[in-house]
Amino acid sequence: MGLYEIMMIIRTDLEANEQEEAVSGLTAVIAKQGGTVSTVLDWRKRKLSYEINKLREGQYYLVYFSGDGAIIPELEHYFRVTDAVIRYMVVAIDEKDFEAAADKAAAEAAAVDTLQEEEAVTEETEVLATGTDERTDTEDEEAEDEEAETVAEGEDETEDASADAEQQEAEAEPEEEKPAE
Amino acid sequence: MRRDRGRKPKRKICSYCVDKIVNVDYKQYEKLKRFVTERGKVLPRRISGNCAKHQRQLTKAIKRARIMALMPFTSE
Repeated sequence: MGLYEIMMIIRTDLEANEQEEAVSGLTAVIAKQGGTVSTVLDWRKRKLSYEINKLREGQYYLVYFSGDGAIIPELEHYFRVTDAVIRYMVVAIDEKDFEAAADKAAAEAAAVDTLQEEEAVTEETEVLATGTDERTDTEDEEAEDEEAETVAEGEDETEDASADAEQQEAEAEPEEEKPAE
Repeated sequence: MRRDRGRKPKRKICSYCVDKIVNVDYKQYEKLKRFVTERGKVLPRRISGNCAKHQRQLTKAIKRARIMALMPFTSE
């Protein structure tokens, strides 16, 4: 018996019930193979650091379960078969983290109860969230432009030279912090 | 080089030891971001000041975070 943590990313362009189906399908597979799901954490919608299957954001879920290691190949099969899941990872964790996750889920469940009364407020924050998304998009573009410039400048230099410059840059950073210490 | 040789480099302290963290968690990617360069490369130990144990865990955590698109493999 081992303790495991599953992190999976589900497509956001699906209906809410399709997303839930992907999660409940997973818990069903675990149960069928003789494992016990301890906690399911909704890790909210997040922007992906890079595109996966042309998608820029994903709905993250954390599932904690205990069971035999033989379940894992079955899970991997489930993830590959389910189109809603765009990325997954199963990690063995120790007891302390396992219990911490359960506590966190309990705390969140309590928080949700109070949150439901403030539905209107959350809608407002959602609008704000989309606003920030747009802003970060433009920032990305700017970063790309800068990148293009640096590439053009450093064309003649070898790979090693640019790597050295990067290291010096990195070394300079903690140097600046020193007076503060 | 340009640095004055006489001065002893200050010994850096492992921030994970200071915080008494046993396992570096890949889910706390905001924290992991402090230990990568602008381009997303893992900072070497001599710069981050981490102890060997936590640096090993950190590297693994960063790699896990990258797989789950929490951190970039490279920034472009």
